Amino acid sequence: MIGLSLRLLRLGGRRAWAAAGLVGAGVAVATALLMTALGALHGLDQRELRTGWRTPVAAQGDPVAQLRVRTDHAAGLPIVQVDLAALDAAAAPPPGLPRLPAPGEVWVSPALADLLHALPADALAERYPGPVTGEVGDAGLQRPDELVAVLGRAPDDPAFTAPGDSDVLPVAAFDRVEASSDALLYRSLTIVAVALVVFPVAGLLGASARLTATRRADRLATLRLLGASTRQVTTVAVAETTAVATAAAAVGVVLEWACAPLLARIPLAGGGWFTADLRPSWMVAVPVVLGVGALATLSAIGGLRRVVVSPLGVVRRQVPQRVRWIRLLGVAAALVVFGIVNAALRTVDVSAVGLVLAAGVLALFGACVLIGPLVVRVAGAWLVRRDGAASVIAGRRLLDDPRAAFRPVAGLTLAVFVAGFLAPLTAAVSGLSTEDTTTLHLRPAVVAPDLRDRAEQELGAAGIAAFLPPGTADEVLVRPGDPAVLDRARTLLGALVPGTLVQTEADRAADQAVLVGDMRRGAFVVLIGTFLVAATATGTAAAARVLDHRHTLRLLRLAGTPVQVLESARARETAAPLLVNGAIALGLGLFCASPFVAVSAVAAPSGLVLLGVVLLAGTATVAAATAASRPLLRAVTAADGSRG
Amino acid sequence: MLSGRGITKRFGAVTVLSGVDVSVAPGETLAVTGPSGSGKSTLLHCLAGILRPDEGEVRLGAERVDSLSEARRTTLRRARFGFVFQFGQLLPELPAVENVALPLMLAGVGRREAVAKAAAWFPTLGLDGLQDRRPGQLSGGQEQRVAIARALVAGPAVVFADEPTGALDSTTGAQVMDLLCGLAVRTGTALVVVTHDPEVAARCHRTLALHDGRPVPAESLVSGDARQSDDRRAQGAW
Repeated sequence: MIGLSLRLLRLGGRRAWAAAGLVGAGVAVATALLMTALGALHGLDQRELRTGWRTPVAAQGDPVAQLRVRTDHAAGLPIVQVDLAALDAAAAPPPGLPRLPAPGEVWVSPALADLLHALPADALAERYPGPVTGEVGDAGLQRPDELVAVLGRAPDDPAFTAPGDSDVLPVAAFDRVEASSDALLYRSLTIVAVALVVFPVAGLLGASARLTATRRADRLATLRLLGASTRQVTTVAVAETTAVATAAAAVGVVLEWACAPLLARIPLAGGGWFTADLRPSWMVAVPVVLGVGALATLSAIGGLRRVVVSPLGVVRRQVPQRVRWIRLLGVAAALVVFGIVNAALRTVDVSAVGLVLAAGVLALFGACVLIGPLVVRVAGAWLVRRDGAASVIAGRRLLDDPRAAFRPVAGLTLAVFVAGFLAPLTAAVSGLSTEDTTTLHLRPAVVAPDLRDRAEQELGAAGIAAFLPPGTADEVLVRPGDPAVLDRARTLLGALVPGTLVQTEADRAADQAVLVGDMRRGAFVVLIGTFLVAATATGTAAAARVLDHRHTLRLLRLAGTPVQVLESARARETAAPLLVNGAIALGLGLFCASPFVAVSAVAAPSGLVLLGVVLLAGTATVAAATAASRPLLRAVTAADGSRG
Repeated sequence: MLSGRGITKRFGAVTVLSGVDVSVAPGETLAVTGPSGSGKSTLLHCLAGILRPDEGEVRLGAERVDSLSEARRTTLRRARFGFVFQFGQLLPELPAVENVALPLMLAGVGRREAVAKAAAWFPTLGLDGLQDRRPGQLSGGQEQRVAIARALVAGPAVVFADEPTGALDSTTGAQVMDLLCGLAVRTGTALVVVTHDPEVAARCHRTLALHDGRPVPAESLVSGDARQSDDRRAQGAW
């Protein structure tokens, strides 16, 4: 029977291939997006494998080295500065280094080597104990453009032994791969992003698979009438869907692999990525391909249930599909789950926040999906009562099978939910004030009363004009007259107190600024992803619906029904449920964000602008995707008198 | 009066119709018969303004149909013509009465009024009580009667029927044809029926027989047991 199924596909002509291609494209895009999200998780893990040792913990046993990791700045860029004093020179080195550095050695990443060449020596190079003697390999870098300096120190180097300096830790090994708190936060956010993407993606997969199956329902019903058993019909129907979906999923994986160099340019946690980091291993890719195939198979079986149970039921469509109000109970249950999640968020471990939050997001997603068909039913009943053939046709089609009618708009509904969820969050984080970038703060570990005078003297000797505002007893403030000499002043002042980094307020808040930028970027990437999925799903579903009804549509057009009426019916069929579902989804999205930010944040201009832009762009994309099947509608309904 | 003169239609290098003359008066019923590929449906499509003939002309009264724009021909089909096809012409989601009301709604009649007018056809067609059934809940014969009602509801000048009994058993087919011909005569509507079934053709006033796109004497196509009565048979002058 599998052979027969594939033979039907092979011999089905251009239209069968076109339909299979349509579904395949949807599945491939969905799989590629899923793989992109999984690639981000994989990338974060890989980064942590290489750089976990830079978040040291104090050794319990005999230490092999003393370690201090801090962030310096030059040319407005963060530089990871690792001070390392080997206590056991034969100990296994950190990733990316051939051995532990000897005192005075300076190993830098390729990107930092370039920066050192680009900047005058007194702007950066003179901060290090000597000339560059080696390179930190990719195995020790978070990303290709990361700026890293590993400075070999003697254990008694003054830069290490300044009293009160608690940053220096004895370490027993460099094999730590546990995630830092920053990495955990990024992991949590990525899991939430995956949760936001996974539902629309699963919806697209399901819709695509179902559509191929129903496209062939009449032919399959014929087989059933000829006496084929339930199993035989199911096999024939499902084999094609499974084959197309699995092949398309493999294409999706390859697509993600091929796009990895582009994706690697999207900065997260400070910069881009190694391309290989964004390509999940075969251990992940193979289950994804198989899982997509399995999901497609299940959806196809779901779509075929009516054929299998009663072949005449599909051929003659006796029973309209009912949607029951009991769905509201499910919506209530989803809200309860969200309430529990909300309470749990305050008590769970930081490492589980992402998963718990993802559960909350999925619960409210579920509420959107449950309530959607009910809204379709109500919208259908409203349309049917209106005048005009297009409204009546659209309304009846919505009422005929509200669940099927919801599928084309489900993607956009969920995308609007995502927009509602992310808008107040991005508005809130973008509201953080930017810190001062002009005043350097020199904070020695021990109070040095003459530090201010010495600083003034040194700056004067170097010809750097600077204003020294009144500081506090343990802090000297320096504001260079020209921002261009900031790095020179920084180098000069750092030499005054060995082991101290000279920073501006903005430098100190840089991590947070990066996080804010990442959240905004992440929100946009997720929004673009979900709207792409939504557009693909809507376009696929609209085209497939035309193919499904092509015979009747053609006869209606032959009988003088203007194609505009058919197009208008299609537009109403999408617009009416979309408007109401979109409003509900927006409300639920805002509700979902409420544990983190005041929902009033969405009223901030940046939140409103984001929401407005996203909703407009998204609606336009989906409208374009629906309109894309207009030529198909005209083609399948075109008059042709070749018969007879 | 619907008339076609010298209708010729080619698809690529194949000539499907070659100089066919045809006419049908109000209240008259005309059967177009012939074997598969003889050009029956193509002739119907040319007469109904679905296709443009390559040569010849089609007129509805004084109005030339074949030279109208696609949009005008669409409007003409909606307003002046009715159609009954073999199967699948009803929208499966719409109840029977709304399927019948569709041409009225397309013409701008309000839904309530259109449905009321459509419902009035149901007793005449023996469909009383079936107004709210969906096409899937109707038998093949009932479905064709709904299609007939839809074809007639807007008061067309001509009804075109393409194999209207092709999917029905002979008894039901006969009933449907009686209904169709009877209503056409009663309402003064011209009826053009494309069929390969001599029994169906025999119920029409006249028959145009086609073979390879050319008119031929009807006898040459009819087997003995399905001969038409002389008074209904085609008499040459088309």
